[in-house]
Amino acid sequence: MTKYTAKDITVLQGLEPVRKRPGMYIGGVSSHGLHHLVWEILDNSVDEAMNGHAGSIKVTLHADGSSLTVSDDGRGIPVDRHPRAKKPAIEVILTTLHAGGKFDGQNYKTAGGLHGVGASVVNALSSSLIATVKRDGYVHEMKFKAGKPIGKLKKLGRGGGSGTSIRFHPDPKIFPKTKFNIDVIRERLETTSYLHRGLRITLNDEIAKTKQFFQHEEGLAAYLASILTDRRAKPAHDKPFILERDSDDAGTRLQIVLQWTESTDEHLRSYVNGIPTASGGSHENGFRAGLGKAVRNYVETHKLTPKGVSVTSEDLREGLTGVLSVFIKEPQFQGQTKDRLNNPEVQQYVDATLRPALELWLNHNRSIAEAIVARIILAARAREASRAASAAITRKTATKGRLMLPGKLSDCTQTRAAGTELFIVEGDSAGGSAKQGRDRARQAVLPLRGKVLNTEQASLAKVLENKELADLVQALGCGLGKSFDLERLRYQSVILLADADADGHHITTLLLTFIYRHMPELIRAGCIYIAQPPLYRLDVGKQTHWAADERDKSRILSKYAKGKKVEITRFKGLGEMMPKTLWQTTLNPKTRRLQRVCISDALQADRVISELMGKDPQARFNFIMERAEEAEELDV
Amino acid sequence: MAKKTSAKKSAGKKKTKTSKASKAPKGASFSRRNSKLDLQATVEPSQGQLAFDGVPSSGTEDSFFGDGGNGSVVELHEAAQARYLNYALSVITSRALPDVRDGLKPVQRRILYTMWRQNLTADTKFRKCAKVVGDVMGSFHPHGDAAIYDALVRVAQPFLTRLPLVQGSGNFGSLDGDPPAAMRYTECRLARACDEILGEIGQRTVHFRPNYDATKSEPIVLPSKIPNLLVNGATGIAVGMATNIPPHNLDEIMTALIKMLDAQLSDRELSTRQLCRWVQGPDFPTGGQILNDAEELKQIYERGSGAIRLRATVESGKIKRGTKFLYITSIPYMVNKAQLVQRIAEVVLSRQMPPLLDVKDISTDDVRIQLSLKAEADEHKVMAYLYKNTPLQSNFNVNLTCLVPTENPEVGRPERIELSEVLWHFLHFRMEVVTRRLENELEGISKRIHILNGLETVFDGLDQILRIVRRSEGKADAAKKIMARFPLDAEQTDAILELKLYRLAKLEILIVRRELTERRKRATEIRRFLKKEELRWKLVRQELLETQTRYGKTDSRRTRIEAVKNEPAFTADDFIVAEDNHVLVTTDGWLKRQREIKDPSRTRLREGDSVMACFAGSTRASCVFFSNFGYAYSSRIIDLPATTGYGVPIQKLFNLRDGERLVSSFSLDTRVTGNIFADETRPDYAPETHAIAVTSDGYSLRFGLETFVEPSIRNGRRFARLGTGAEIFGVEPIHGDETIIVATAKARVLLCAAEEINYLEGTGRGLILIKLGKDDRVLGFVAATTGQDGLSVVTSRGAKKTISAERYEVTSRAGRGRPLLKNGELTEILRPEVSAPASIDSADPAETIH
Repeated sequence: MTKYTAKDITVLQGLEPVRKRPGMYIGGVSSHGLHHLVWEILDNSVDEAMNGHAGSIKVTLHADGSSLTVSDDGRGIPVDRHPRAKKPAIEVILTTLHAGGKFDGQNYKTAGGLHGVGASVVNALSSSLIATVKRDGYVHEMKFKAGKPIGKLKKLGRGGGSGTSIRFHPDPKIFPKTKFNIDVIRERLETTSYLHRGLRITLNDEIAKTKQFFQHEEGLAAYLASILTDRRAKPAHDKPFILERDSDDAGTRLQIVLQWTESTDEHLRSYVNGIPTASGGSHENGFRAGLGKAVRNYVETHKLTPKGVSVTSEDLREGLTGVLSVFIKEPQFQGQTKDRLNNPEVQQYVDATLRPALELWLNHNRSIAEAIVARIILAARAREASRAASAAITRKTATKGRLMLPGKLSDCTQTRAAGTELFIVEGDSAGGSAKQGRDRARQAVLPLRGKVLNTEQASLAKVLENKELADLVQALGCGLGKSFDLERLRYQSVILLADADADGHHITTLLLTFIYRHMPELIRAGCIYIAQPPLYRLDVGKQTHWAADERDKSRILSKYAKGKKVEITRFKGLGEMMPKTLWQTTLNPKTRRLQRVCISDALQADRVISELMGKDPQARFNFIMERAEEAEELDV
Repeated sequence: MAKKTSAKKSAGKKKTKTSKASKAPKGASFSRRNSKLDLQATVEPSQGQLAFDGVPSSGTEDSFFGDGGNGSVVELHEAAQARYLNYALSVITSRALPDVRDGLKPVQRRILYTMWRQNLTADTKFRKCAKVVGDVMGSFHPHGDAAIYDALVRVAQPFLTRLPLVQGSGNFGSLDGDPPAAMRYTECRLARACDEILGEIGQRTVHFRPNYDATKSEPIVLPSKIPNLLVNGATGIAVGMATNIPPHNLDEIMTALIKMLDAQLSDRELSTRQLCRWVQGPDFPTGGQILNDAEELKQIYERGSGAIRLRATVESGKIKRGTKFLYITSIPYMVNKAQLVQRIAEVVLSRQMPPLLDVKDISTDDVRIQLSLKAEADEHKVMAYLYKNTPLQSNFNVNLTCLVPTENPEVGRPERIELSEVLWHFLHFRMEVVTRRLENELEGISKRIHILNGLETVFDGLDQILRIVRRSEGKADAAKKIMARFPLDAEQTDAILELKLYRLAKLEILIVRRELTERRKRATEIRRFLKKEELRWKLVRQELLETQTRYGKTDSRRTRIEAVKNEPAFTADDFIVAEDNHVLVTTDGWLKRQREIKDPSRTRLREGDSVMACFAGSTRASCVFFSNFGYAYSSRIIDLPATTGYGVPIQKLFNLRDGERLVSSFSLDTRVTGNIFADETRPDYAPETHAIAVTSDGYSLRFGLETFVEPSIRNGRRFARLGTGAEIFGVEPIHGDETIIVATAKARVLLCAAEEINYLEGTGRGLILIKLGKDDRVLGFVAATTGQDGLSVVTSRGAKKTISAERYEVTSRAGRGRPLLKNGELTEILRPEVSAPASIDSADPAETIH
């Protein structure tokens, strides 16, 4: 049995631990970890830029595809002797973990690197690394292999300017694959150029022999625009919200750009000190909190709260596309991969900064704010609707896309519009009869509840809000008003089927008004019909006959009634009929009778509709008094 | 008969009058040729829209009527018109409007008739409403059950119906707007008053028609002895017309009816005006006070329309510990008490009427709402505010539209009529009912006499009859033989054959003879009545009196009619408690008012915001906000939110455009700002205090402030026209003797006398103040009163400089200005820190002129 004693305890020296356990420092040796090396070096250069010492960064991917050079025009890594380590500072930085210039906060206000391990980790994991520093009029160079210096710091000669250039080749002993992906690097560089307004980044691809420059004076606003273009998201309002706050004393900087879009997902890219934080963190939490409070407060202040639907915080952010970038002095990330921010004070800071600024912006841009609020209410309604529509049905359209149809619609099975009919039926009672009695292949039934909104007296917004009419529009599929498209009509004909009583007549006029005012093309195209359900029920003994009109009635009477007792009743409602009878009398194309609605005198049609359904009660009164005598049988 | 002609004449006269009043075009008639059962109803060719003209019936036996699915074509407007007309007439004649005779709408009539048929009268057990509703629906009213139950509940609610027609048991709703219990819980029966309405229905007094499926028949009108239309009123919205009839006191209406009848009997006619002597005005079940004077009420009754102003009644209570109590003891008709209390509570909470401290609903069976006031408060003022701003005073808009009978007994014609016509129709309806009742009675008596006659004839030969019956082969045979033997007809014979054996007793003949005498006497009497109309009128009168004694005398008036004279009038200003407030406006546009702001720099501000202005003013005065787009928004100081928080954004009060922000704001309280009113004789001269505005493109104008005193609409008022891209930089109140110091971004400075800038009466662009070089813009300005006053600027090197009239030369306007620096630019203007407003000299905040 072996003894487990003190001598069994291994203490890894210098950069040994990095080579032993790379995952702890770069999150693994996959492609992700490989590129992490680039980011570590790049972040050092960006840190120089962020603090105003560097204006351009150049990244070169060398022809072998595995070695890469990152150079900047910053101050250059110090090359003088480190007083404690008795070595040149550059050697200390590149060979010692936790050595760096970003601990005391004097030389760097904010920085992506903070553990002082980035450069040394890269060094440790590279089969070769060459650091070139221009500083104080000289060019210095130092070479390393697997983290160990090869020779001393050399002065290569005189040279103007300043800057650091690091060329490294990842160690194939550690990484199974050492080829860099140019696209990944390009994307990161582009993002970096957006986050650091004005910073000039050059990507030199020696394999493809191309050079690319990234520089954006507009910063995040340009970034947002490019995101929107990439995602093909249509903005819900023009002019994005842009917030930039610099607070010198705390060393924090906040940049936010936001725009709501028509797309249905939320898309937020967040960065801390230029490093993407894919898993969010306290800054994103603060962002969400501040955004929610600002928008809600605006809605409440201006009494825009929608009726009948509660707005959730997800609704507020539906379609929101934005970039959030914070620069803080001492970021605490979860893990070295730095994709989640932990600083609790940042949440408070982002919240407290964003909220008043966004609220002010909304208040100062009322028309934009209204578009945003409309977008949010739409999201809330859509959410409610989609929940309600869990019972809704879908049908393949001619274009094979699926579309949402109102739950009440009993659609026909045929998908082509040709030969199909939509019956708009008054009430669920009659709707049931029609549903059971119809020809399922070609006839669809949409029951409407109660009296439809009088569209002559309602604004378009109100019309769109009306559930019954919205269902109708949805079922027809052809849109209304400006967006009307006859091609998209899902049926060949639309048949209004209301009871033959007074209220049924009213509903028919209301529907005609709606169609006339919002989709008159349907009438012109001859798609609108009025069904003619029977008017009389004749009970001869045990038999029941239905008569359409007087002539019909007397025909039936002379034929069957001979001497028998006949009970004749005025027909009350479609619900009175058995489905089969309804089919025979009203639905069956062979035996039914329809009236097609047409407009031959447009002026007359317009005048009559506005007279009957318009806002002037006097016109209505006159019409009734003048025409009272012409009235047919009344319903009592 | 003289009386009748007179009545008819008056009717004819009235008709012409009303047709004018209701604006009915000539020839409009609601008489309908075809009744529902008259199935000969055909569609006239002239209205082909609904006819199946031109479409041949396929004639096949099984098909209903085939047309291959295509059918006829109809014009949109014709289809709409025909259908709409049908709907409109149905609603008018058989849904929304009450009949002038029984004052009932069809659904109410059907409910009462159904209950009566089921003997659900006031002395029976209550029955479930669901049962009643079901019967009504099944027998007569093929519509929704909810509508029927609502109608049933309404006629049972004592706070809605002056003389309830149905007694409810259970929760039938309340004055607080609580809904009644569902109909499966509640129970009902007819109220005692329905004996008067339905009592004569079995005597063929009214016309009946078949119900919707022709299985039963229903009355077209109920033979009401109560003038229900006026007593219970009615509300209804039909198509193209509506009705709103207030309830009345039964006693008063009965008196008026009797007076009218008396006048008619003595060949006189009473006008609506004269009838108003007895009908003082509406009498609402909820009490209240009618404010209209007698003349107004007369006009309303004459025209059949007008607004009744109805107010709650209030009693004063005691003063206890510095609190004065008022009690509201009745509220206006159809006002929801809970909502009313809520509204008053809102007034209390928002401190719109500070002397009003609290409101408490302490009602039990009677309405009692307690208002607590400060002891020193002027209760008239408080009540005046409440009357104006809460439903404590409401209008009832009378519209005396109802259905009046036509030649066709089944259909009424809608008409707006005056009071006398309503009463006239009711009287004549009573006459008709009485006549038909007598005729019906006479018919019954005649039949009876006939049978008694037969009995009398054969009484002595009864033994013979017995023998005949014994020997006959059945009833028919017996009848034949009896008729052959005695002078009797079939009816009499039948009655004899149906006799009970005990009637053969000896003394029965006496009873028969006595009955015969009585019946004959009654028949003679009825014939006399039927012959002499005057007698029947007297009968009508007597019955009216009986009804009045039974129901009217015990039911005194609930609504007071008392026009309030010399009520102190209060203007909107009177309701604002005058006090001096401080208003704070921030650069980002947040506003608030507080009693006092001692240190504006320590007020609560949003992150990144700063104080722009802080000024004093009376709550009755206005203040004005100027924006960079050249708009001014004014508001009363009282209307700004009183808060110690952040306040509200200006966009809540006004519709600012995108990118518009405030640049300046100040008080228009004359005690703070000075006299801002122009001399009317010289409107083109600047008033003592007016304002100056400077734009970013170097223009400047002076304008008056008087127009901004009146609160502006949400879109504000334009005070300056701007060049493209230019903004207003600032607006300051001045007196005209100041020196204007203006500085530009390119460090040019110009000083000139304020007088040089034009005073504009209206909106304008103004004049060039300083000529700007290329890419230059105005950075800021100040109106300096003394030589020391100056404009503090920061240079691009960070140095601060103050430009004052003392140190720089004052030139004339429209120059290029002098360079302030050899090189470099100005970056910003330092605004002096906003200090707390100075105290106002004049102590009385009510003194501000406005």
